[in-house]
Amino acid sequence: MAAKQKHAEQIPLFISRSNISTEINKTGSWRFVRPKYHEKTAPCSAACPAGEDIARIEMLSNQGRYSDALKTILLENPFPSVCGRVCFHPCETVCNRAGLDDPVAIHDLERFIGDTADGDELKLTPKKLPENGKTVCIVGAGPSGLSAGYFLSQLGYVCDIYEAQSEPGGILRWGIPGYRLPNAVVASEIRRIINFGVKIICNTPVTQDFLEKAKVRYHAFFIGCGYGRSLKMNIPGENMALDGLEFLNSLRDGKIEPINGTAAVIGGGNTAIDVARSLVRLGAAATLIYRRRKQDMPAFKAEVEMAVKEGVKIKELFSPIRIKEDAGEYVLSLQLMKTSDMKTDGGRVRVIPDGKAIRHLRVQKIFTAIGAEPSASWQFPPGEHTGTLHLSHCTLTGNNPPFLYGGDLTNPIKSVTDAIASGKQAAMAIDIFFNQGRHAVENGLSFCLVGKGPALSMERYMGGKRSVRDSHIVSYGDINIDYFSMAGRVKTASIEVNHRIRSFDEIEATFTISQAMEETRRCFNCGICNACDNCRIFCPEIAVILQDSERRINLDYCKGCGICVFECPRNAMGLEEES
Amino acid sequence: MTRLNIPDVDYMYAGHVGCPGCGATIAMRFALKALGDKTIVVIPACCWGVIAGPYPQSSLKVPILQTAFATAGATASGLRAALDMKGDSETTVMAWAGDGGTFDIGIQALSGAVERNEDIIYVCYDNEAYMNTGVQRSSATPFGTRTTTTPGKGWKKTRKKNMVEILAAHRIPYAATASIAYPEDMIQKFEKALRMKGGTRFLHVFATCPTGWRIPSEMSVKIARLAVQSNVFPLYEVTDGVDYTINIKGYRPASDYLKVQGRFKHLTDEDFEQIQNMVDEDWGVLLLKTSRSQKS
Amino acid sequence: MKQVIEGSHAVSEAVRLAKVQVMSAYPITPQTHIVEALSEYCADGTMNARFLCVESEHSAMAAVIGASSAGVRTFTATSSQGLALMHELLHWAAAARLPIVMAEVNRALAPGWNIWMDQTDSLAQRDTGWIQLYCEDGQEVLDTTLQAYRLAEAINLPVMVVMDAFFLSHTFEPVDVPDQELVDRFLPPFSPRIEINTSDPFAIGQMAPPNVYMEMRHDIQKAMELVPGIFTGVEQEFTKIFSRTYGPVEKVLCNDAEIIMVVTGTAASTCREVISDLRSKDEKVGMLKLKMFRPFPTDLIREYLGRAKKIAVVDRNFSFGASGIFAQEIRAALCNNNTHPPVFGYIAGLGGRDVTPEILSEIYWKTKNSPILENESVWVGLLD
Repeated sequence: MAAKQKHAEQIPLFISRSNISTEINKTGSWRFVRPKYHEKTAPCSAACPAGEDIARIEMLSNQGRYSDALKTILLENPFPSVCGRVCFHPCETVCNRAGLDDPVAIHDLERFIGDTADGDELKLTPKKLPENGKTVCIVGAGPSGLSAGYFLSQLGYVCDIYEAQSEPGGILRWGIPGYRLPNAVVASEIRRIINFGVKIICNTPVTQDFLEKAKVRYHAFFIGCGYGRSLKMNIPGENMALDGLEFLNSLRDGKIEPINGTAAVIGGGNTAIDVARSLVRLGAAATLIYRRRKQDMPAFKAEVEMAVKEGVKIKELFSPIRIKEDAGEYVLSLQLMKTSDMKTDGGRVRVIPDGKAIRHLRVQKIFTAIGAEPSASWQFPPGEHTGTLHLSHCTLTGNNPPFLYGGDLTNPIKSVTDAIASGKQAAMAIDIFFNQGRHAVENGLSFCLVGKGPALSMERYMGGKRSVRDSHIVSYGDINIDYFSMAGRVKTASIEVNHRIRSFDEIEATFTISQAMEETRRCFNCGICNACDNCRIFCPEIAVILQDSERRINLDYCKGCGICVFECPRNAMGLEEES
Repeated sequence: MTRLNIPDVDYMYAGHVGCPGCGATIAMRFALKALGDKTIVVIPACCWGVIAGPYPQSSLKVPILQTAFATAGATASGLRAALDMKGDSETTVMAWAGDGGTFDIGIQALSGAVERNEDIIYVCYDNEAYMNTGVQRSSATPFGTRTTTTPGKGWKKTRKKNMVEILAAHRIPYAATASIAYPEDMIQKFEKALRMKGGTRFLHVFATCPTGWRIPSEMSVKIARLAVQSNVFPLYEVTDGVDYTINIKGYRPASDYLKVQGRFKHLTDEDFEQIQNMVDEDWGVLLLKTSRSQKS
Repeated sequence: MKQVIEGSHAVSEAVRLAKVQVMSAYPITPQTHIVEALSEYCADGTMNARFLCVESEHSAMAAVIGASSAGVRTFTATSSQGLALMHELLHWAAAARLPIVMAEVNRALAPGWNIWMDQTDSLAQRDTGWIQLYCEDGQEVLDTTLQAYRLAEAINLPVMVVMDAFFLSHTFEPVDVPDQELVDRFLPPFSPRIEINTSDPFAIGQMAPPNVYMEMRHDIQKAMELVPGIFTGVEQEFTKIFSRTYGPVEKVLCNDAEIIMVVTGTAASTCREVISDLRSKDEKVGMLKLKMFRPFPTDLIREYLGRAKKIAVVDRNFSFGASGIFAQEIRAALCNNNTHPPVFGYIAGLGGRDVTPEILSEIYWKTKNSPILENESVWVGLLD
């Protein structure tokens, strides 16, 4: 009775009792700077000649999304398994992780993704534009020609590639030795390109005459036939030396026979190294002869080191002057050289003979690999004159039809990845040429640069997500190192040296999945959001919203404190003044 | 992708009046993520007394009982007793006090509550001065700090009290330090405290104050991290007052932490050296206690 | 059942019968017997309650504030220094509108240390918003404590039950300690209006800006204004069950009195004897015992004292720089009345000094024989 009485009456009871949420205060009005999600360019992707979106590729791999990672590579480069074996990885040289411990093993990871990701290939190659009725004639099924075909096909062009050899691949198939690049890998990645819709006609060397006649059938031409003719030494007895390129070609053709005794290889580029290391595997004791110093050798440094490990001797600062035969062997006369203060036009150190000092080397075989050039005059790209557009990786000449030269013919750095870049640039140039005119080519390409270039991105050309990314290149100082602890680079398993040289088998293994996970974890993912959620976790205003896997700032409440931007480990955010 | 060890739920509302970059609000977010909605928060006079929201608002989804400055420990004790008498053993009582309400005016009530081993979680969010009233010094203000009551040449020449050690001497079941810069560690400790029902649990949370420490707001979390990385504010736990565990070992010099804050701008290299010696000394004592625990 | 118990235990028995759930206190003479008895009841299971042995009175009040906010029946007790230490939180408890009941044993404030009877301690808290009820004997203490819970819980204001140090707290008297079943009829289980909980979360004690603070304070006064009416109702129910009644004030022989003496606490018992004796000598004297001090019973004061020729107020307290506090408030009450007889203020019995029949007699004669007030306050019984 009494209890009911108590609450039947309302008593004056106005106290400080609250339950209205503070959300009615739009504290966003406090702001004078505003955070935003602002992805930037990772240095690796700008250094990659093919402009691969490397930061994103490593991020996807770390999330176990290997198919998506492969898809991302294939947007910019149809040869991940190839490049993952033969590319000289300029990406790793600029990798920001080196500031903390070691650069990320991007090269090994690309190989892992190329080798491992499975799934319906048609789903992984880029979406093709509808055919536009134009056809392109491509000369040479090497990396530049094949890439040109791949990217042109994506853009809606029908491509025919004419190849002189019995199988496509160019230097991939016929030049680089098997211990660096197995045939099966090359064949598999070329098959992907063929399935993508590119036609390859082998056993068909192209002549100038053929090209003239083809002008009525094709709307554009891409010449990517590479350097087919070795340079001559122009010394007495030269005819007793064997051509290094031909030697490699025959090995790749399966003509593997043991060679005993000693062999001299003249030259300092990748071809010379390939020849020397192949000779070791055939049983010979190989000595490399180079006219400049070891550090001046144009071959990739890693390759030179591998050669030395395998027992190749290097004689530096020697220039061949004469070859003589003597009792079934060869005597190679070498002039000792020395460096001079002057430099060549190319900036390389100049060497001059060091007095009259001459050495003689007695060997069973001599190979030359001092360089190469195009094998026919029509293969030389035109020089600087009006009417010719010299782009970073190809040269455009002519109007009706336009002729493009690419690959080793035009690239300052003669590498596989630069050849791929060449094919891509040519494809984009042709497309802009037809859609907007020649005058628009340079400007049109400039929108697709990765960072400051010269790498180009097809994703940017096609208006994908990457096209809004800021070209600012993230530096080590931009990274919030607090979120990373030291971790050494994962090393692939490799065959021990003594076993290596007994065959042409691959030396290094592909990463295992757990190795790949460990290594991709080291990648900073410079400049792109990897959903680490720091911004959302630390926001004092609970003003970072996650919706459909996308993060955005709730501007009703954001006070612009900047913690999210500061705590982003990878500089994927920015602050701008409140308007 | 969200972080696995950080519950993806919030019991705090946006729109509160904390300063931009306020470490105390980040601390509350993390604390409640761990403790959940069956929590009643007792808040004495402090910045959070204002951040809790003026009538008729509240910035938390859980109930709040605001109380007088000195009383967090006692009010929380009474609240706990009442809930127990009502048969509610599920609700957690969390006292949430600043350094003033813990180290100074509130130390008596805290000591009493701990001695009685009250079944509460007491959290001190430490911004190292009386910030709510305009940056006056407290006994949690570290040696070397300029505040409005230790201004100019009168910068604080006495050391910061060590509250965890004081309570360890009470044989408190669980005491630990935590930092807003280490969310997983902090949430883990709160979850541990939640599980250790039946006695008093104390958490000393380092909560940066950009306003009072004269640092840009975006460095709020970074500064907290530097404090741990330089052993100025080590992260460690004490169980039953005797078992010590260090969670993170620092490696930076204290000057890395001091020289980026306006409140330490006046310190010379000699002062830095003196402070470094103090930090090293305290760290040495902590290491000793830890190794002693491991032996037993 | 009638028992001979000391005043302290009249309190503890009432608290036991009221089924209080959470108690917290800090020992201070002469309150200690109260809290010791309650501790025993908790230890042996007589009471199903928690007793928090806190480390100060300030914490004792904080603890019961915390407990009461969760909607349980609470109790604390203190005296003198302890009450003074609680001061900040007395304001808090009242403005938080919590139905806390406290036994306050009137004891002198230090320095110098003095553990004996003096009313300054409780009266110095008259502005805090607590209901204050002064008791004359052990029975009244027990009854008032029970009534205090009904009253507090009806109006959401805390209640202070006040008794004299030693004269009441440590004096043994026959007290009827009722059966639990009777008390249950009078005092049902607590049904709180304020109950902090996680199912319906809200915040209490938030910042109250100028646009709402005054209204909140006004509601405290509006609640105080309802107290006399509620108290009357509570007493009526109490009387029905226990056949005892006290009233906010008790008038003895006031109707035709020319001089009315106003007394509180145990002095009222002494005064009854003195009045009786004076009346036998044909003196037209009456006595008003003041029980309810907050809210101040202005209407009753005006009604019962307005017709007398002179008022003599006995204050066992003092507000330095002013006067005895009861006298002050009575003067204020009579100021705007049609009739306002002169109020003679007498200060007696501070710091444990006994208020004897002789002193009360002296006060009467002084009042009768003084045509006008010599001083606002006359200190009686000084030894210098």
